[in-house]
Amino acid sequence: MTTLVKPRTLFIGLSLLCLLAIWLSLALGPVSLPLLDTLRAALRLIGVPIAPDGLEQAELILGQIRLPRTLLGLAVGGVLALSGVAMQGLFRNPLADPGLVGVSSGAALGAAIAIVGGSAFGGLPESFGPYLLSLCAFLGGLGVTALVYRLGRRNGQTNVATMLLAGIALTALAGSAVGLFTYLADDATLRTLTFWNLGSLNGASYSRLWPLLLVTAGVALWLPRRAKALNALLLGESEAGHLGIDVEGLKRELVFCTALGVGAAVAAAGMIGFVGLVVPHLVRLLAGPDHRVLLPASVLAGASLLLFADLVARLALAPAELPIGIVTAFIGAPFFLILLLRRRA
Amino acid sequence: MRLSTRVVALCVGLIVSHQAAAAELPQRWVSAGGALSEWVSALGGESKLVGVDTTSQHPDSLKALPSIGYQRQLSAEGILSLRPQMLIGTEEMGPPPVLSQIRSAGVQVELFSAQPDLPALQGNLQHLGKLLGAEDQATQAFLAYQQKLDQQKLRITEAQLKQKSPGVLLLLGHAGGNPMIAGKDTAADWLLQQAGGHNLATHTGYKPFSNESLASLNLEVLVFADRALTGDAARAALFKENPILSSTRAAKDGRVMELDPTLLVGGLGPRLPEALKKLSDGLYLGASDQ
Repeated sequence: MTTLVKPRTLFIGLSLLCLLAIWLSLALGPVSLPLLDTLRAALRLIGVPIAPDGLEQAELILGQIRLPRTLLGLAVGGVLALSGVAMQGLFRNPLADPGLVGVSSGAALGAAIAIVGGSAFGGLPESFGPYLLSLCAFLGGLGVTALVYRLGRRNGQTNVATMLLAGIALTALAGSAVGLFTYLADDATLRTLTFWNLGSLNGASYSRLWPLLLVTAGVALWLPRRAKALNALLLGESEAGHLGIDVEGLKRELVFCTALGVGAAVAAAGMIGFVGLVVPHLVRLLAGPDHRVLLPASVLAGASLLLFADLVARLALAPAELPIGIVTAFIGAPFFLILLLRRRA
Repeated sequence: MRLSTRVVALCVGLIVSHQAAAAELPQRWVSAGGALSEWVSALGGESKLVGVDTTSQHPDSLKALPSIGYQRQLSAEGILSLRPQMLIGTEEMGPPPVLSQIRSAGVQVELFSAQPDLPALQGNLQHLGKLLGAEDQATQAFLAYQQKLDQQKLRITEAQLKQKSPGVLLLLGHAGGNPMIAGKDTAADWLLQQAGGHNLATHTGYKPFSNESLASLNLEVLVFADRALTGDAARAALFKENPILSSTRAAKDGRVMELDPTLLVGGLGPRLPEALKKLSDGLYLGASDQ
């Protein structure tokens, strides 16, 4: 299989793209700050002692609004793309996405319980309220994934096909449960639920960011160590086993990393579709199926895509904001189609 | 000569006092709440608004202002880009992290009640009056409002002596398709009660209607609120999409009324007493003639 670009070129290109995305994400927004102010405020934020005169607003917007948002976008985009690679590798199926093992639908169920149930029970302590949604989404994703994994196991072996079907069944089940909550919800909670399902990086704050950053860093450092094993798995399970790979262990790790990563991403930013499914494809189209390239490159590509999508989300309708889930597919899908057509030609 | 000096003195006095007041009161407002924006306009503060949310649809002139999106999904930087001094909204406004970001940027955030009752409205109007520097006007507006609602109550009580509360359903829909019936615990239910109607719906919240249950009801008046169409177009669409409705008693008697769906959002607004009067006139035919 020929590749469009060499891995080295790809990494340099993607790194530059990602840096550009980070810079634009810090420099652009509905509030137009002079470039010089942005630079000075950015320098102050990383500890360079500059006189703070006239920089209060720039520093606030950069430090409290744009920086946490950028970090959130990087982490969410990176970890979603990475989980996509893990799932496509595990199922040896290019149509696999993190939703397949039930993590997204489980998280949606958790969120629906939190949003609809939370308003029904009321009386939650004020400080706990905002975290309830994230926590429920995270636990829901983890719980349903654990169940899917458990259903796929028999006699100490994980049957990937059974797991896939179990994932589909549980996704449908969780979907109808979410539907039930939608029916029970009143107007206001219904809108909250709808918006949550479209995802947003809006309102990112450091306190909610740290857990996700830790999880993302963990997953992003761990999975690339498994690149060779994933490459072997492409040949088939028994072939990988003959090559000395602990296939059962690998499957467990892949499912666990996906559940953890996607669960944390969804808990922090709501459902953001498309990234996990298409970013790995994009990278594969450019650089081939070698996981040693695919894994780290997908992190960079996913993070860049999400930051660009977020730029559109916050600038297109300013001062209002679009849910980012709408934008990721809107800018990602045409790009993907172009690559697909060029490759065919 | 003396007169003109006085006039000049008066003008100067007015300008100075106006500026003194202006220095203390916030001049650039963003409003995230339909009824609130309406009250700000009614109290003469529309020129201070620099942005409104998507629920602020009345008066029409508000639609020309920059939209900050839906009240529960505000964006901190978007709002800050309007350089407001104050953000007003109901407790439905959010999300909370965005509000705290806006506060930390030095923007005053004032919360109002979205409860559809008079004490809440009184509190809201007093609060707004203070912020606008129009306290007397706000008090008067409240008294007039209260009086209108009292008159309304009186009218209903009198009408109910002569006539049983008619059975009503309120349908909320979009271009006639799949309307939802307003059940208990909704703003629409409250509105129907205030207008003296007996809401035949027994469920809570807004739910899609079932043809069968509709057939068994003695529906005397049908009220519909359509988000997309108004007038005859909405009526035609409603009956075309839902033929079962034409067999109800309300349709046969031609007692089908229209309601502006924006009245159902965000607490008591200034247009409510007028709408209530119209609604109860329709519910108790002939009561208004006497």
